[in-house]
Amino acid sequence: MNSGRCAACKHLRRRCPSDCVFSPYFPANNPRRFAYVHKIYGASNVGKILKDLPVNRQAEAADSLYYEAYCRIKDPVYGCVGLITILHQQIYNAQCQLARIQAEIAALGTQSQSEVQQYQQVENVGPSFLPDQNGVPNSTSYYDLSTWFD
Amino acid sequence: MSSSSVPSSSSGAAGGGGSSGGGGGGPCGACKFLRRKCVAGCIFAPYFDSEQGAAHFAAVHKVFGASNVSKLLLHVPVEKRLDAVVTICYEAQARLRDPVYGCVAHIFALQQQVVNLQAELSYLQAHLATLELPTPPPAPPPPLLPPALSISDSATSSSAFPATYDLSSLIDPILHPSWILNQRQDIDPRSFSTTTAARAPPDIPSSAASSGGDLQELARELLNRHAPPVVPCRNQASTLPPHSR
Repeated sequence: MNSGRCAACKHLRRRCPSDCVFSPYFPANNPRRFAYVHKIYGASNVGKILKDLPVNRQAEAADSLYYEAYCRIKDPVYGCVGLITILHQQIYNAQCQLARIQAEIAALGTQSQSEVQQYQQVENVGPSFLPDQNGVPNSTSYYDLSTWFD
Repeated sequence: MSSSSVPSSSSGAAGGGGSSGGGGGGPCGACKFLRRKCVAGCIFAPYFDSEQGAAHFAAVHKVFGASNVSKLLLHVPVEKRLDAVVTICYEAQARLRDPVYGCVAHIFALQQQVVNLQAELSYLQAHLATLELPTPPPAPPPPLLPPALSISDSATSSSAFPATYDLSSLIDPILHPSWILNQRQDIDPRSFSTTTAARAPPDIPSSAASSGGDLQELARELLNRHAPPVVPCRNQASTLPPHSR
């Protein structure tokens, strides 16, 4: 009987038992999903991987196997590792940008702090920040941007 | 992830020009593991030496199978086979270490890190923009300062790993190298999930991740820095990862 078989059993041309380990994760309506996984890992290896996992983790494992198989088919040399490399590059670029912006902010903060001090000297204006609980002006200026960064 | 334990270019591999097995050289690591005669022209011989290669091949064989790896390598140009073997070893060892997610866990962590960094960047760029605007003499300060932002932890920090991963959030990764920063939203993130009709993901240009020698060097460096340790093939599949439920 052809109907009711999962994609794996259809691909392997065998009967699909009621406790088929593949059927929850490789539905018949997506034959390519199992084809990719089978091409890279082989049905036997996939079955072993899934059977060794608790039932509540099998779906995630099937998804990750499909993802890796897909990446490997599309990029036979690097597979998923190509993506990891790209992500590392992008993290590095973002960190460089962050460092640059933090330096700019720090520089601007220093500049505005000196402007504030000049303004206060000219206008004889008291501290522009809230005093602490003892009524003493808080010496940690709003413009002390060093507190922003660990 | 610990330091490299994958076959580096120095462990019996010479980019296709190394020992070819058979004869007086002894069997390569793969044939040693498979307990078969290592013939001249053995496809595995340049990449799996008879010492550490056998351990690496054990992982590869357990996850992928010798026949599948052999077919994979046959479809790869000879000059790229070393890189292919290195990445296959990495994926195999990652899968043995984490049978549920394999190296996808690492990808997920890196994606999270990129998102966090982008959020920090956006915030600081906005803040920089306000600082650069000409302002009048300072008014009383705002009541609360936002918490100090720091560059996110390294991707290798396991504390950033969620207990489970929503694989439906994995969007198409290699459509363009700058996909992360552009936050492409036109790809169905549910493509890899079993809970949907599981439409196949869109085509990924196979050249995207393999262009240029720079990427090869980076891949090797990455593997040397981040590859998981070689784990014995025995009893690994029954070991759940520390962050799984």
